Amino acid sequence: MDMLFQTIINGLLLGGLYATATIGFSMVWGVMGVINLAHGAFIMIGAYVGYWAFAHFGLDPFLTIPLSMAVLFVIGYLLQELLLNRVMRTSLLLSLILTFGLDMFFINVVILLFSSDFHSVNTSYTGSSLKVGTAFIPYVRLLTFTFALILAGGFYLFLRRTRAGHAILATALDKETARLMAINPSRVYSLTFGAGAALAGAAGSLASMLFPISPIMGREFIGAVFVITVLGGIGSVEGCVLAGLLYGLIQALASLVLGVSYQNIVAFIIFLLILVLRPQGLFGKRFYGEIS
Amino acid sequence: MAGFEKKDAGPALPSIVLGAAVLVFLIVAPFVLSNYWLRVLTSILMYGIVAQGLNIIVGYTGYHAFGNSVFFGIGAYSTGVGMALGLPFGLALALTVPVAVVVAVMVGWPLLRLSGHYFAIATVALNMAMMEMVINVGGITGGAQGLALPINPMGPAMLYKIIYLVMLLILAGATATVYWLDRGSLGYALRALRDSEQGAQVMGINTTAMKIMAWAASGSFTALAGGVWAYWFTFIEPSSAFDINISIKGYVMMLMGGLGTVFGPLIGAAFLELFATIIWGKFLKIHLLILGMLIVLVVTLMPQGLLHHLRWFKRRGKPKEVIR
Repeated sequence: MDMLFQTIINGLLLGGLYATATIGFSMVWGVMGVINLAHGAFIMIGAYVGYWAFAHFGLDPFLTIPLSMAVLFVIGYLLQELLLNRVMRTSLLLSLILTFGLDMFFINVVILLFSSDFHSVNTSYTGSSLKVGTAFIPYVRLLTFTFALILAGGFYLFLRRTRAGHAILATALDKETARLMAINPSRVYSLTFGAGAALAGAAGSLASMLFPISPIMGREFIGAVFVITVLGGIGSVEGCVLAGLLYGLIQALASLVLGVSYQNIVAFIIFLLILVLRPQGLFGKRFYGEIS
Repeated sequence: MAGFEKKDAGPALPSIVLGAAVLVFLIVAPFVLSNYWLRVLTSILMYGIVAQGLNIIVGYTGYHAFGNSVFFGIGAYSTGVGMALGLPFGLALALTVPVAVVVAVMVGWPLLRLSGHYFAIATVALNMAMMEMVINVGGITGGAQGLALPINPMGPAMLYKIIYLVMLLILAGATATVYWLDRGSLGYALRALRDSEQGAQVMGINTTAMKIMAWAASGSFTALAGGVWAYWFTFIEPSSAFDINISIKGYVMMLMGGLGTVFGPLIGAAFLELFATIIWGKFLKIHLLILGMLIVLVVTLMPQGLLHHLRWFKRRGKPKEVIR
């Protein structure tokens, strides 16, 4: 029973981080129909920004979130402006290949800069935890969870409350009408890709405290990101959060009941079932990705 | 240039001469090349098969099977397990075809109803799920530890020549299939399906059966390549047999050469594999970086493929066929 309680808490806390790691990917897919395979690399770069600031200046990774976001926003914005906007005019599926090439590129650049060794970030509070009843909640996990949800909420408000957010939503719903309303779709795409990358960077900074940091750490995230995107409904922020928590929970329970080695199988089977039975996602509605 | 003006006129004389020269070279190659270059050439052929397999489902049917490497892994493992059970190589390899067809039909039935992106990522998930499955099944597959295939008594020099020739044979079969698709009525049906599924249905084409057939053919060739690869390397493990990079590399090769063309994927395979071999040797530390940049360049500058550009110079003014 204690074990179960602990497992549920662990799953949910990790799920929050997965949710934030997914939102950018889901938005990019939902708004412009691009499956960004370099998203994992963005998370990885965010983690390295956190690691670099921690190792050189002793900055707490929570404080490096704005830096990660800024770096990745610039990278994302420029990539969309210079490369992806060109490809989107011909074939959206070429974006799969293109972003995979970018993923390789970034991984290699990081290997050159930081070597392919594993790194870790150990803050003064890394080992301590909060005791709730019979369960232990590590402070780091609790804080990353909180920050992840704050970021998700912030992004939700950005989409719903600001002009730029409205422009993104409008372009996602109807590109041609948006153009008539003096919205420049290319600009909106760059903004969306930049914002998506920035969120990935923030998630990476948070992840740097929980996971071993390596150039290929993004590859491990991308599986979860796919499942959560489809589970939550493509392009839906609230769907991402719910699906992220659900995913964390399912993963934790699967490893408790079936064993750790079955975690991924369970995830992929859920993924395939959702795709076949309910392609709009558990919480999603029909969206751009559905039509194209 | 008559050959390029009308599709039915058959290939022009220079193309025939060039084709014959390449064929003669490919047949003589194992007896004249050094082991190193034979290895490179064998891997060009292997990727040629993967690219040609993708060409059937992506180029002609319009279904972006991004995770087609699942069949490569299935082929590798069914050959490996078959040989571990005592079957001779030829029989174990031949058995990969029915295995691939069964998987393509069983999984294709639900998955091929998905469109565009959804199918693409579903195949990726399928590849991952299969890999995890092999790891968890353990037993005769060796699980995560991998599986060693029986060593052939004839010695490596002879074996590598045979591996090369088998690859060549399979590639010839795949190319012949694509050629037949390109000219025959089945190919017209598939292309109609690619361009408009509803339109094809109205014309009386059983689109579901067509799609599954195309994927089964694509999967069979890919599985054969995987089977030969398993015997070539004699040791397989889930992460290398179900390596998604195999199909992604094949995909880039197909794009480079030109998807939906008969020889494009082969040209792409030869070009990219030679390129990769050279940069692998010369720039050990940054070969991923260069490969990544090459992919970006290909996709942004010539999404229609090399072959298309070569042809386009010859018949300027023809509108570009927009790929979907």
